Amino acid sequence: MSAPADSAAALSRDALACVLDLLIPASADGRLPAAGELGLAAYVEELSAATPGLRPLLEQGLSKLDADASTRGARGFAALAPDARRSLLDELAKALPAFPPTVFFVAMTGYYREPRVLAALGLEARPPFPKGHAVGETDFGLLERVRQRGKLYR
Amino acid sequence: MSEDPVDVLIVGAGASSAAFAWSLADTRMEILCLEQGEWMDPSRYPSTGGDWELRAQNDMAFSPNVRKRPADYPIRDDESPIKPALFNAVGGSTITYAAHFPRMHPSDFRVRTLDGVADDWPLDYAMLEPWYALNERMMGVAGLAGDPCYPPKQPPLPPVPLGRLGERVARGFDALGWHWWPSDSAIATREYEGRAPCINLGPCTSGCAQGAKASTDVTYWPAALRRGVRLETRCRVCEVTLGSDGLADGVVYYDANGALRRQRAEIVVLACNGIGTPRLLLNSRSPSFPDGLANSSGLVGRNLMFHPYAMVNGIFPERLEGYQGPVGCGLMSQEFYETDASRGFTRGYSFELMRGVGAVSIALWGAAQGWLPWGERHHEAYESIFDRTAGLLAICEDLPEPHNCVTLDPELRDSNGIPAPRIQYRLAENSRRMLEHGGARAREALEAAGAKQTVCESPLRVAGWHLMGTARMGRDPRTSVVNEWGRSHDVRNLFVIDGSLFVTAGAVNPTNTIQALALHIADRIKHRLGNLFDD
Repeated sequence: MSAPADSAAALSRDALACVLDLLIPASADGRLPAAGELGLAAYVEELSAATPGLRPLLEQGLSKLDADASTRGARGFAALAPDARRSLLDELAKALPAFPPTVFFVAMTGYYREPRVLAALGLEARPPFPKGHAVGETDFGLLERVRQRGKLYR
Repeated sequence: MSEDPVDVLIVGAGASSAAFAWSLADTRMEILCLEQGEWMDPSRYPSTGGDWELRAQNDMAFSPNVRKRPADYPIRDDESPIKPALFNAVGGSTITYAAHFPRMHPSDFRVRTLDGVADDWPLDYAMLEPWYALNERMMGVAGLAGDPCYPPKQPPLPPVPLGRLGERVARGFDALGWHWWPSDSAIATREYEGRAPCINLGPCTSGCAQGAKASTDVTYWPAALRRGVRLETRCRVCEVTLGSDGLADGVVYYDANGALRRQRAEIVVLACNGIGTPRLLLNSRSPSFPDGLANSSGLVGRNLMFHPYAMVNGIFPERLEGYQGPVGCGLMSQEFYETDASRGFTRGYSFELMRGVGAVSIALWGAAQGWLPWGERHHEAYESIFDRTAGLLAICEDLPEPHNCVTLDPELRDSNGIPAPRIQYRLAENSRRMLEHGGARAREALEAAGAKQTVCESPLRVAGWHLMGTARMGRDPRTSVVNEWGRSHDVRNLFVIDGSLFVTAGAVNPTNTIQALALHIADRIKHRLGNLFDD
């Protein structure tokens, strides 16, 4: 997962990582990491280049978060304390309602493929092929009641 | 490619044409099939990569309007609540089907006689029975003999195991005293005819990398090619042409380079599915057939039938290992298949078990349901649904109605400039009642199995997998497009062999019946070679 390296994008990526941590935080028991902590900001940014409408939404939302943070005396959204970030994101959800659910949706498509996440869910971090899954044989003795009903077709 | 005439030219290389070509190769006639798609490479199917869940919704999506592969043509579907789902490649939609492979019931062929609706078919279950049996051997069908919903039959392979999820749901049906049975599944549960056995990958509907699922690119087509049938890919047919004698004399098509070519033939066979076949006929206009070829009845494209689906998902308290095993093959129930007037609708439906999905898919589904919040409660909510869902699909019989149709869109065209199909479809009141009944009964079954919560989507939107009725068979040229062995009433060397033939839809997945019909038609042709074009 690579991402553009210009400074403006990098600044937005800091804010994006913080947003991702708010959308999918670490689990209370620590088994599941936060999305930003996993480095998903680069993934979301990469995906935004290929998804119509996503890049402008990201730019608009992240710019506003940074701007709102600066009115609170911080050097960008990432510089705020966690509670203040959450407060600004809640405000943004009212001003730009598409932003949180869209970023959340996109983030989940990366988050639930991460090996650390899959392991925490009890899954192997691999595609289905070639190993597949072992499923035991079924005892179809439960069908006896159905067999006893006799012909059911016309 | 030579433009010398071939004996038999088949358009489309999906479920029906593979069976038909294999069978007709007995005659040693020169048989050529033109297919707009390509051979698929199983080593590149989504299940071979970590992005398998995303690819299943993009380049292997059910809808060609989403997928937009080079072989696909667009379909205008904004006038239908059910969106067509088909695949264009060698193997056709068997590449992406679930391989749920039931037969139709004997009653399905006699709905006018038994229930006073629609029309009887011009053939019956007994006529198709040997072709069902042959097809099940050729495709390699797994199942269990003894189902009381059918006349006796013997699947050649043992059934797909139900797994923890399927056994849980089966206990629900058992508790209610309802019929259920392991699905007939076109999946090799053992090594079969050179095919590797199923290893329970899960996502059968984006192509089987193992080759255990019976898509016709790994079943009939290799056998047909060994018998001398020729198959040319990336050839998109745009018109069936008519000779001065009133017979079809070949087709015009775009080759892989986009060049317009002509192929002459003694017999033309259409196998492009219930949308592609009427599209091609309607695009084949001439002074003799200004409304489309073989369309003196005016029924080409009409009576389009889908199977409307109600999808009910149950959330269970424990993990079900539902992502393991063929997603659409487990068990089925036909408790509500036959007509019972007290239910408020005519005809009926089947239930099919749907297993669970992967980690990404359940997240997106949960968010779409409004069950999966962002923020601190996310993980708790996610873990309450991940690997805890089991689904039941109610697959409802759709009755034919002339206003449900495939026509040509006046503006939309494919990449070769050929007019694209337009779908106009309304759910009938009978279907609405059936969906409502099916949704409610599915909830009952899942709750009896232990589901703590259920959610129903009805009608399921991108679920137009089954395309039927748009060039239907019959004995009367005024009320049908082809006769009881697939030959056009109007053009005596033109045949239709795909789902367009269906007079009614039944309430089961149609591929087994489509292929049995194709084998039946091939058999009739073989028995009539001396007088094939006679009245």
